[in-house]
Amino acid sequence: MTPLVPQIVIRPEIETAVGEADHGEVARQLTLWEKLVDMDPVRKFSILILLMVVWEAYTQLSGVSELILPKFSSTAAALWAAITGEQLMIMVWNSMKILITGYVIGLVIATVLSTAAIMTRFGSDVLSTLTAMLNPLPAIALLPLALLWFGLGSDSIVFTLLHSVIWPVALNAHTGFMGVSETQRMVGRNYGLRGLTYVVKVLIPAAFPQILMGLKIGWAYAWRTLIAAELVFGGAIADTEGTASGGLGWFVFSNQMDMQIPHVFAGLFMVILVGVIVENVIFTNIEIKTIRKWGMQAQ
Amino acid sequence: MTDGAQAAAGVSSAAAAVDPILDVDGVTLQYKTKEHLITATYRVGFKVYPADRFVLLGPSGCGKSTLLKGVAGYMTPVEGNMRLKGVDIKEPGPDRVMVFQEFDQLLPWKTVKQNITFALMNGGKCKTQREADDLAMQYIKKVKLDRFEDTYPHMLSGGMKQRVAIARGMAMEPDILLMDEPFAALDALTRRQMQEELLALWEDTHFTVLFVTHSIEEALIVGSRILVLSPHPGQVKAELNAHDLNHGNMSSPEFGELQTKIHDMLFADRILEDELQGEDA
Repeated sequence: MTPLVPQIVIRPEIETAVGEADHGEVARQLTLWEKLVDMDPVRKFSILILLMVVWEAYTQLSGVSELILPKFSSTAAALWAAITGEQLMIMVWNSMKILITGYVIGLVIATVLSTAAIMTRFGSDVLSTLTAMLNPLPAIALLPLALLWFGLGSDSIVFTLLHSVIWPVALNAHTGFMGVSETQRMVGRNYGLRGLTYVVKVLIPAAFPQILMGLKIGWAYAWRTLIAAELVFGGAIADTEGTASGGLGWFVFSNQMDMQIPHVFAGLFMVILVGVIVENVIFTNIEIKTIRKWGMQAQ
Repeated sequence: MTDGAQAAAGVSSAAAAVDPILDVDGVTLQYKTKEHLITATYRVGFKVYPADRFVLLGPSGCGKSTLLKGVAGYMTPVEGNMRLKGVDIKEPGPDRVMVFQEFDQLLPWKTVKQNITFALMNGGKCKTQREADDLAMQYIKKVKLDRFEDTYPHMLSGGMKQRVAIARGMAMEPDILLMDEPFAALDALTRRQMQEELLALWEDTHFTVLFVTHSIEEALIVGSRILVLSPHPGQVKAELNAHDLNHGNMSSPEFGELQTKIHDMLFADRILEDELQGEDA
């Protein structure tokens, strides 16, 4: 007896003339609601509003002390007062000045280090040893030493910022360089590109997704370090260089000393706001104009 | 003497009158992996003449890609020498432009046109950006990609990317165009179309090309002369003529005969290899 195996069923051939059949709408305009729900900022902003409502409702209903947890409305009022009457924006700018100084110098040093690392074996050894040694060290732990070397002042904070920028940026750039595809390297060398021009024209753009990630991490580390440094030593710096030269961390610290808790919250809110703006406006824009445009974001 | 042999003799005597563009003589190439020192080719020699569509054909492991990298200047032979127009090949240079199999050979941060002008400007072919733009557009039109000149590579299909890479290679007008299995990653329909386009482009200017493939069919269609290599390490088995074979006469007896002949040459090795492995076991 033969086992039962499915057999081919031979059917007539079919050819269809594709005409204007009644397949309904091919393209339909989205409704306003559908468009709104698809917009990232709209959805995220609604979550923020929800949080504010919960915050306000809880503080109103539970009667918790303003010294423990101020109402959302008093925090907002304190923020407004600080911006209009207490030069909060100038303090933000003071912080940003120090941050930008540290960030830019840090980037230059990181660029030199990672370029040396990709061009020579000695450079690569130096970078990996230094990173392995210094990357785990929290930048803020260097501040006491920095104060000893550079004295009370913004120079000490810049020094600690350097530490928090250089290692993540150099490490990511180096990883990026190492990951550039062999084909793209060969293409670059095929046109006779050598040395520094090869690094600038081929390696840096090819490794840009990793480099950008390093820049973001470096920025985030630097911002945290700066605020922490100002919280701890900002008062001393403000004393030596005049109160108006204090930064955002100092604003939070001094208000806590004065038991102005809504102001403390307002200061913290400002710290978050600056971080969010840099991350979501500046870096996201760089990303859109570079790696997303080039289709390199999937790395 | 058969007709085929006479034709072959005619071709070789005509070639003797001109100097070869590329002279590879007794070249042994080795590279290191983590564990082994691999001899990729052993004392391989061949000469490429102007207007040749010279194909390096062999199974994987015959060192054909390594050989091409040697000619490109990415590898130095441990024995023998390679001369381009009588000058020893020492390092990569724009006189030998390479077209790779991988789609990422286009720089993703540059548009189609910028990819070509980047090569022209840095390779020293063009002095001004304007000159480079004009030349780039000329070659973009040749590979039928006008309208796409400002597109970034990630928006292009695989076949289009390879066309850009070929346009870039040709725009450089190198002494010899090196192609490392440029159509291997394409689907069968696109591959055939690309082979036809490449031959049509060749008809225009008769540029010299050194083409690596592992497909016998592709070698016969694209190549005018075929170097058959044996694997592990790559050694020359034969150098054959295929200048009258193309898509048009794929069903002719000559095409089939040569295909069978090469197949037998390569297949004989595989039987031997199987036997050797049988002995090992």
